[in-house]
Amino acid sequence: MTRVISDQSRLRNFSIIAHIDHGKSTLADRLLDLTDAVSERQMRAQYLDKMDLERERGITIKAQSVRLAYTARDGREYALNLIDTPGHVDFTYEVSRALAACEGAVLLVDAAQGIEAQTLANLYLAIEAGLTVIPVVNKIDLPAAQPERVAREIEQVLGTRREELLLVSAKTGQGVPELLEALVERVPPPAGDPDQPARALVFDSLYDVYRGVVAYVRVVDGSLRKGEKLRMMASGTVSELEELGVFAPEAVATEQLRAGEVGYLIPGVKDVRQVTVGDTVTSGARGATVALPGYREPRPMVYSGLYPVEGDDFPDLRDALDRLRLNDAALVYEPESSAALGFGFRCGFLGLLHMEIVRERLEREFDLSLITTAPNVAYRVHLAGGEERTVSNPSEMPPANQVERIEEPFVDAMILAPAEYVGPVMELCQSRRGAMAAMEYLSEERVELRYRLPLAEIIFDFFDQLKSRTRGYASLDYEPAGYGPSKLVKVDILLQGEPVDAFSAIVHTDKAYAYGRTMVARLRRLIPRQLYEVPVQAAIGARVIARETITAKRKDVLAKCYGGDVTRKRKLLERQKEGKRRMKQIGRVEVPQEAFVAALRTDEADGR
Amino acid sequence: MSPAPSPAAAPARPAGHPGPAGPEAGFGVYVHVPFCLTRCSYCDFVTYTGMEGLRRPYAAALLLEAELAVAERLRPDPPVVTSVFVGGGTPTLLPPADLARLLDGLRGLLELAPDAEITVEANPETVDAPVAEGLARAGVTRVSLGAQSFEPGVLAALERPHDAHRIARAVGHLHAAGLRELNLDLIYGCPGEDAGSWTRTLRAALALGPVHLSAYALTIERATKFGRLVAAGRMRPPEDDVLADRYEAACALLGGAGLHHYEVSNWARGPVAASGLPAHASRHNLTYWRRGGYLGLGAGAHEFTGGERRWNVASVPEYLAAVRAGRRPTAGGERLEPAAAAFEHLALGLRTVEGLAPVRARALGVDPAGPAAAELRAAGLLAPGPRLALTEAGMLLHGEVVTRL
Repeated sequence: MTRVISDQSRLRNFSIIAHIDHGKSTLADRLLDLTDAVSERQMRAQYLDKMDLERERGITIKAQSVRLAYTARDGREYALNLIDTPGHVDFTYEVSRALAACEGAVLLVDAAQGIEAQTLANLYLAIEAGLTVIPVVNKIDLPAAQPERVAREIEQVLGTRREELLLVSAKTGQGVPELLEALVERVPPPAGDPDQPARALVFDSLYDVYRGVVAYVRVVDGSLRKGEKLRMMASGTVSELEELGVFAPEAVATEQLRAGEVGYLIPGVKDVRQVTVGDTVTSGARGATVALPGYREPRPMVYSGLYPVEGDDFPDLRDALDRLRLNDAALVYEPESSAALGFGFRCGFLGLLHMEIVRERLEREFDLSLITTAPNVAYRVHLAGGEERTVSNPSEMPPANQVERIEEPFVDAMILAPAEYVGPVMELCQSRRGAMAAMEYLSEERVELRYRLPLAEIIFDFFDQLKSRTRGYASLDYEPAGYGPSKLVKVDILLQGEPVDAFSAIVHTDKAYAYGRTMVARLRRLIPRQLYEVPVQAAIGARVIARETITAKRKDVLAKCYGGDVTRKRKLLERQKEGKRRMKQIGRVEVPQEAFVAALRTDEADGR
Repeated sequence: MSPAPSPAAAPARPAGHPGPAGPEAGFGVYVHVPFCLTRCSYCDFVTYTGMEGLRRPYAAALLLEAELAVAERLRPDPPVVTSVFVGGGTPTLLPPADLARLLDGLRGLLELAPDAEITVEANPETVDAPVAEGLARAGVTRVSLGAQSFEPGVLAALERPHDAHRIARAVGHLHAAGLRELNLDLIYGCPGEDAGSWTRTLRAALALGPVHLSAYALTIERATKFGRLVAAGRMRPPEDDVLADRYEAACALLGGAGLHHYEVSNWARGPVAASGLPAHASRHNLTYWRRGGYLGLGAGAHEFTGGERRWNVASVPEYLAAVRAGRRPTAGGERLEPAAAAFEHLALGLRTVEGLAPVRARALGVDPAGPAAAELRAAGLLAPGPRLALTEAGMLLHGEVVTRL
């Protein structure tokens, strides 16, 4: 079944650029159906989405590749390497590396939805990387499909002609054979030099319990052979190549990978940090001297504290993070302790989705129950003495009188929205301290807005707000745009006069009051009445800016307890006692874990 | 009438039945009569309306079960019974002659203390002169009347068929029959009630001169009409602050009228013994709160003997079938781990002003002079002194205190 085609002229390397739900995985399945890649028995829907978690979220976290053996209408057999890309803004860098491994890209757009911001952002990456783009309108079988409108939009964006565009239904298979032909005809074969020293681009890596790190690579120049010594040019790791091969779609070992080929390497190392995305693999002997361009250190954008609900679980959390990081080069963490939450870790993530995924994996795969503090960004704090400090935990912000200025990270955001929603989108961006950079009409109906925004303003509920103000039609993409000074203050939350470090936040001066009021109101709702009255205050330094009072509990007794009630009433009291035991004691105040979780949730509804 | 129970007056616990509590806790017999004329909107007890044809066979089966229970649980040395409580449901729906036969039967099976308290629950509408006389003749010493309220609006919300007038008449009949050891049950926090109507109800109850009064906060139980209304969002459960206001009003009014607040929801006339308990406190219920033993007879009845709890099936037909086949109609049971038993003892013991003696508290793993107790004393929830006992303010926060200790 697996014929290894390594004639460079018969190779085609491509990606599919699509928004979530625009049918990428379904199209990949159809491509697998129509080629020689996978048997019925192995077939399951959405083959490329590997982890259960991904299957549930309907998105792809880890890029993978699959080799399709396709006999074209010219009677010749081609090897088509489909390189899957992650579909979220948190993973833009991974996307750029996956695209760098390709010569072509299928731009897949839902016939009922049109182009979305992420798609556009990735399309720009593809164009920058010099890829041949094949525009495809998908889901033409849907009753709500408007292929003509979407086609016009694509023509506008790409400047392509109408006849270059393919109409497809990945669900029914309509148009997919034509797409396969287009891939062979339009995507150029790889151009690398097979006689140069080996250079292979790592576009993904993962950790396998049995084999250690598995790297997904595109060999650009030269070739790599089983058993030879390898060197990772960025990390400096040297190892022996244990195995290499292609995915068809199961791993099939081969003797070598040559220029233009896409496949996997098992370099015999144990930590994904030794083989990170963007690194260049070369031969240990007579290796390349110049690495492939574009390597970047994984760089966390968003920070959050992760704490076990049960303090006893701290060692388990440490083990779980240590295991998770084997598979996630972008995850960084260091131990920290909180007076309110005990021992935990300050973790850095690529973005909010990455944070959510890590948290879910920790809870699901390691059976941990966690409290996540509100996500924040890393601030650059310039102290009066000239010292500069990076603060990724708000409770570590130095006192205001020692601070000369604070800089925060900004992003350049791109928002695509139907023209009728431009007003609400601008309003939202302005309320989040955004500065408009550009506004452009993609078509009469759709507008591209570009804003420079503080990252801190979009990591909370920006995307939800954007969606709700545009009835779900707007989409968002952003990329880091450096640091800039802002008027920021630290707001502390106090229970009965004691600051609760987990609730401290760094916010813009103009928003300090709103933040303070929201938090104290939330906490008044979430913290049960206690034996004593509990004032809940928000303060900047010593200045109280908001206050609510949790009045003392007046009644806590079961009215009746006679012979027939004893068992049931005892159980009620035991549950109450267990609940008390699980509460965190802050001064004299007992705060239920649920209150931390709910207060720190970004989507907590207020005023109800 | 019934004197305040005291350790000296209590019969010695026979060997072979080491209970969790000392002999001063007493030993009771609870008999459940699950028949009612109508179903009240707040009640989740095991009760059946209708089933007239089953009432007499049921009364006969109770005695059969008593024989089985004594043979199974209390041989070879049955303890002396200090109280019998016939509850329901509406026990006065049983013909008085059947009730008399049941009590006589129990006297034949078990030794009743000469001063045993024999309580029967009754709903006002079921008490006329013949019923009152029948109860007295059967040897009943105490009657607990389900008055609940004297306000027409509140009684209607509770779906009680009686009115204030009917309560007064029932009390009159009972007094005329020589039954003066009377309790009135009241409920507060009901729909249709306000501070004024609750005060009127308390005054109306006091005017009838009961030696004992129970005032219960309305508790919404799931399997009741109120429970369904609350779940459906069509009724608001009473707010804690409102319940606390009513409770404090009851404490002030009943205390002012000379009744002694001796348990979370119970008041009785004195004189007050050294234990803090008033003379007219319910001895049967004190046995529960002291974690003493009791037999449980009838459908859905609970039993606690030798440190083990068990309970009967709720269904009357199943109950009858089991007893007729010579089996106890057990539905479930439990034997507690020492820690759970200690916690239960603490929770029960703290419901009354008697509380727990320092030795007992320590045996339950609570230091009556420890920091937790000291903080609760400072907060005015635990009474000063070596015993572990709640103040009146503390009773309203019983749950908080118990879970802190």
